[in-house]
Amino acid sequence: MHGAGSAGARSSRIRSLAETEWTGQLRLGVAERDGRSYAARQFHEGALRVLRPHYLDHSGQVTYTVINPGGAYFGADAYLLDVVVERGASLALTTQSATKVYRTPQGPATQEMTVRLGPGSVLDYVPDQLIVYRGGSYIQRTRVDMDPTASLVLAEIVTPGWSPSGESFAYDELRMRTEVRVLPPDPAARPRRLVVDQLRIRPDAHGDLTGVGFMEGRSHTGQLLLADARLDDDLYERLTELVDASDTHSGITRAGAGEPYGVRCVCVRSLADSTEAVAALHRAVVDELHERWRGQAPLRLRKY
Amino acid sequence: MEPSLSGVLGLMQLTDSALPTGAFSHSLGFETYMHAEQLEDRESFSAWLEMFVDQQLTHTDALAVRLVYAAEDFERVEDLDDLVTVQALPRQIREGGITMGGRLLSIGARSYPGEWVQRYEQGVVEERLHGHQATVWGVLARELGVPEDTAVASHVYATVISLTQNAVRGIPLGQNTGQAVIRDAQHWVGRAVAVSRDLVAQGIAEEVLGAVAPGLEIAQMNHERQRARLFMS
Repeated sequence: MHGAGSAGARSSRIRSLAETEWTGQLRLGVAERDGRSYAARQFHEGALRVLRPHYLDHSGQVTYTVINPGGAYFGADAYLLDVVVERGASLALTTQSATKVYRTPQGPATQEMTVRLGPGSVLDYVPDQLIVYRGGSYIQRTRVDMDPTASLVLAEIVTPGWSPSGESFAYDELRMRTEVRVLPPDPAARPRRLVVDQLRIRPDAHGDLTGVGFMEGRSHTGQLLLADARLDDDLYERLTELVDASDTHSGITRAGAGEPYGVRCVCVRSLADSTEAVAALHRAVVDELHERWRGQAPLRLRKY
Repeated sequence: MEPSLSGVLGLMQLTDSALPTGAFSHSLGFETYMHAEQLEDRESFSAWLEMFVDQQLTHTDALAVRLVYAAEDFERVEDLDDLVTVQALPRQIREGGITMGGRLLSIGARSYPGEWVQRYEQGVVEERLHGHQATVWGVLARELGVPEDTAVASHVYATVISLTQNAVRGIPLGQNTGQAVIRDAQHWVGRAVAVSRDLVAQGIAEEVLGAVAPGLEIAQMNHERQRARLFMS
């Protein structure tokens, strides 16, 4: 199977990213030396920065915390996160607090994230929850290109938003699209799409957003995407147990078409009544992967 | 553009619920709700089906058919076949789409061997392409000269009819109830045509392709592990 996006669509996308005036941009290149990962390149501009890196355990994984000095995304804001994790390096990327999107009368706030994962590299992307305020619209696009030997975790939590009256789902629109491609071992071959994960919520467009098929009476959603060649049946079984034991209404499945260049994909989709219920499930899964694959201690993000 | 009589007859053949694609063995998620005793009568099944048309069929199948109609070359169709397949997260939905699409493709290629249909079949035989039902139908309908809106409507409607027939057997509902649901569903099919057309006009068809409600996706995932299943999805 192939299919990596038509060349025309891809080049126009690249051009549009290159021409965008970013409200904030963060470019981070993480490399590995003597078993320890570090930022070999770091550039930030505008309303995005990272805090001083942390080493939360003895694995050598570096943890960076993204902060938004402006406090929130506003109308027509455009943010770029460009992350490269080089051969053998390991990065945990999180946020300092919830991502807040205020009213966006000037147009949706957007976040573009591009990720490139080298051979044997690791990315654990575990941001805080997303809160879109009344009258806000938010579009998030994430694109990952990974080596077949890399390891990817993407975890997202979406709240019912915020409004002064306490009403849930008072925002206008939320769109999150993630596309993961696997780079060929032979550079002459073409990258192959592994999976596309989509979430789109337009509260006014759905008859009863909380009802059957949509939120099923819950308020929060979670998306967990795992891509790694080592997601075998035994591990999948274990992840299924974690899903069942969690305080969420969740499904787990083997996603992705085939196993491009040997990479497997597992997706967990959750509904819950709180951020913490989804976060606890995501943590349980990440900790299981850390322990199995790297003998790494549980991920304990310190946020104050 | 009016389709030729041969185009109409081809459309009727390929969207007939008796076409042996295996659609009779897929609930596409409603069996999970059935098992939870949430679908027991006309009202509850109608509500589920309307949600399914608004979410899954509008944002996946209808958009895929329209994007095939907009394709300028077959490489674009190959890319859409891949895109519509990988966006289906629940394994049974993805595999069902490929299985039913494969059968539709082999029947269609034999009966209406247009250039793209033959290239599509060749690609599936060589395992370069998946053969997703929605893109396969888009190619067949396009080569039969079926107008785009009709191609979208007939595919969505065919899925509605087979799901309702499956619900009549599975839940069960009475035959007359099933026909009443199908009549009601014509409004939702019309909405799927209009909403998908609007998404194309806004230029975001490809970007939102596959945006399906989370509750439905969870039910489709959980069907994999349900005991005593009547349906394959």
